[in-house]
Amino acid sequence: MREEDSQDLELHRRVSARDRAAFDELYRRYGGPAYGVALRVTAQELIAQEVVQEAFLALWRAPEAFDRTRGAFRSFFLALVHHRAVDAVRREQRLRQRTERASNLEPVHGEDPAEDVVEDAYLGVRRKEVREALATLPAEQRQVLEMAYFGGKTQVVIAEELGIPIGTVKTRTLAAMRKLRVALAREDEG
Amino acid sequence: MTQDHERIDELLAGYVLLALSGPDAEEADRLLSEHVPSCPRCGATLADLQALSGDLALAAAPVAPPETLLPRLHRAIEEVPLAGRAPRRGAFVALAASIVALVAMGGLSLTLDDRLSDAETRAGTALEILSLMRSPGAEPVSLAPQGETPAASSLVEVSAPNVRTLYLASENCPEPAPGMAYQLWLGADGQWFAVGPMFRPEDGVVLLELEDVDTSFYDAIWITEEVAGTVPQEPSTEGRSWRAEL
Repeated sequence: MREEDSQDLELHRRVSARDRAAFDELYRRYGGPAYGVALRVTAQELIAQEVVQEAFLALWRAPEAFDRTRGAFRSFFLALVHHRAVDAVRREQRLRQRTERASNLEPVHGEDPAEDVVEDAYLGVRRKEVREALATLPAEQRQVLEMAYFGGKTQVVIAEELGIPIGTVKTRTLAAMRKLRVALAREDEG
Repeated sequence: MTQDHERIDELLAGYVLLALSGPDAEEADRLLSEHVPSCPRCGATLADLQALSGDLALAAAPVAPPETLLPRLHRAIEEVPLAGRAPRRGAFVALAASIVALVAMGGLSLTLDDRLSDAETRAGTALEILSLMRSPGAEPVSLAPQGETPAASSLVEVSAPNVRTLYLASENCPEPAPGMAYQLWLGADGQWFAVGPMFRPEDGVVLLELEDVDTSFYDAIWITEEVAGTVPQEPSTEGRSWRAEL
């Protein structure tokens, strides 16, 4: 286990004991990555801020949701943010369909909209590992993975948009996840 | 069994990505309740995939949240009572009366006979508003017409504590000027967030439902008139508008 992961576990333990300073430290560590993925998925600042706020509030109100025997706090929390972002996008899509407001969303942010984020070094290292692992995937596998993860699309929708059988989407998704898992596990061991 | 597990792994991968729907989602739910808890292999696979799902978030560039977000989190944690949200009984009674009348008279479908689904949606929204208005602490707020906006035009916001839905209703919303459209903004600590256009149906009856809104997050609401099809950065202070503190 990396030292930073151990520090996260200690911060989480303190948050469970209602330690506000520990909560603020986790916000300092993960506010940027959380807002980054929420913005990438929702493409709307307003919704992204609500996603991040709700995720941190959920952490404060129910810290026991994180099971420290099942992996790093980082993975747990960022998965939580991602899930809430996808949920928010799907609700927004339903609302938009109902109110005919498709044409007036806030601008979509690009890949790297902010240069001023001060990030802990280990997160930068992990980010590099994740991006490098993604870059090794065959294009068609990376495509279905990113459409699902950052596009918030279901496999049925992905199959329709790409004009391929849903079975192919499932196969490519699993293959991509397996390769990433192996590559990142290798980095962890290294 | 290998083939079975290949199929299960595909479902678990889709599950952690939130990418399943229909029968696949139902099958995954069954697996997660009936098979995975008793299968060490699948339990380990699920844990690995979930960890991977979290790390994939790092592929997105980090972005500094607004400086106001942490103070808002602190306030939410402390559950500070919101100031200035005393019930406005007048607005409550007036809106309830107008919505009851609209539903009872079938008015929602008068101009929508060729758009039945819209009419049904609006009728459903009206009933949801009525239901919300009966819940404890529901606080309808009248939005005041600004400037030269017709004084008789009424817009009412309805929300309730611990309900993550905000409604906006009007029975006589005037048509925006040619080439213009109404824009809905929510404010917090002096910052305005463009929520999206407020669509005005031909009959002037607006029944807008915003789902998954943290109503404790905002302290003001503003409807402005903006150039149609544009994405405004700031609320326009010209043209028609309605505004209220929440």
